Amino acid sequence: WLWRSGLGKPRNGRAAAVLLNKFLLARPVAVLTRPVEDCHHQTCKFHTSPRSFAGSKAASLHWTSERAVSILLLGLLPAAYLYPGAAVDYSLAATLTLHGHWGLGQLVTDYVHGETSVKVANAGLYLLSALTFAGLCYFNYHDVGICRAVAMLWSL
Amino acid sequence: MAALSLRHVGRHCLRAHLSPRLCIRNWSLPMAMSICHRGTGVALSAGVSLFGLSALLIPGNFESHLELVKSLCLGPSLIYTAKFALVFPLMYHTWNGIRHLVWDLGKGLKIPQLYQSGVAVLVLTVLSSVGLAAM
Repeated sequence: WLWRSGLGKPRNGRAAAVLLNKFLLARPVAVLTRPVEDCHHQTCKFHTSPRSFAGSKAASLHWTSERAVSILLLGLLPAAYLYPGAAVDYSLAATLTLHGHWGLGQLVTDYVHGETSVKVANAGLYLLSALTFAGLCYFNYHDVGICRAVAMLWSL
Repeated sequence: MAALSLRHVGRHCLRAHLSPRLCIRNWSLPMAMSICHRGTGVALSAGVSLFGLSALLIPGNFESHLELVKSLCLGPSLIYTAKFALVFPLMYHTWNGIRHLVWDLGKGLKIPQLYQSGVAVLVLTVLSSVGLAAM
């Protein structure tokens, strides 16, 4: 909010100071509306809005799936070391690509603004992830496979 | 008051004709580690994508490329440094990722715990990177 107030390019110092003033004056009002009795012991209790407010469960399911894939990927790392082979190779290709795709998707959500820009960015991301997955599968099929490749690289 | 003091703090950025948005913030360990988590994630993703795309586009198999690197006769210390450089962002992202998952369970969110777990992640990252690069 601070930079969107126009602080990004201060044309002259006074304009920046005025804008900064305006926003910092606004902030104390926001602080006053927070329930004071909850902020003790370096923790703050917060309340979320009731579940019935959400139109669909898609976002919630997406969040849970992201964590599930992260845990799966975590498990695949020792598996790649202990049981290298085609099963782990293809699992790694899929999980790595999906985890990366969703992670980069969060970047798009955070940093890309504007309807068309978001659509273009997401389309580019889909293309990148598709090509990455295709490339990894190609490598697994026609070449040594991810686990063996890492082993070979490390024996250098 | 607050506005003027922040402007004072950010003045060296303004003098360099940069936006003060990064200078007026009080940087903290959790904040820095959070951006590093994102940074390492992007870097690792780029590496994986590069690997996948080069498998599709560059002729020659993996073994031939490894032979090419072997023929360069790089010293062992350079090889160790390269391995360390590869494994360090992966280890950081992995350990900090576990820290994130613990937060998602609702645990360890108090401020001192944030700093403790952060330091633990950094220590584990260095130790595991050193160990893995030596393998």
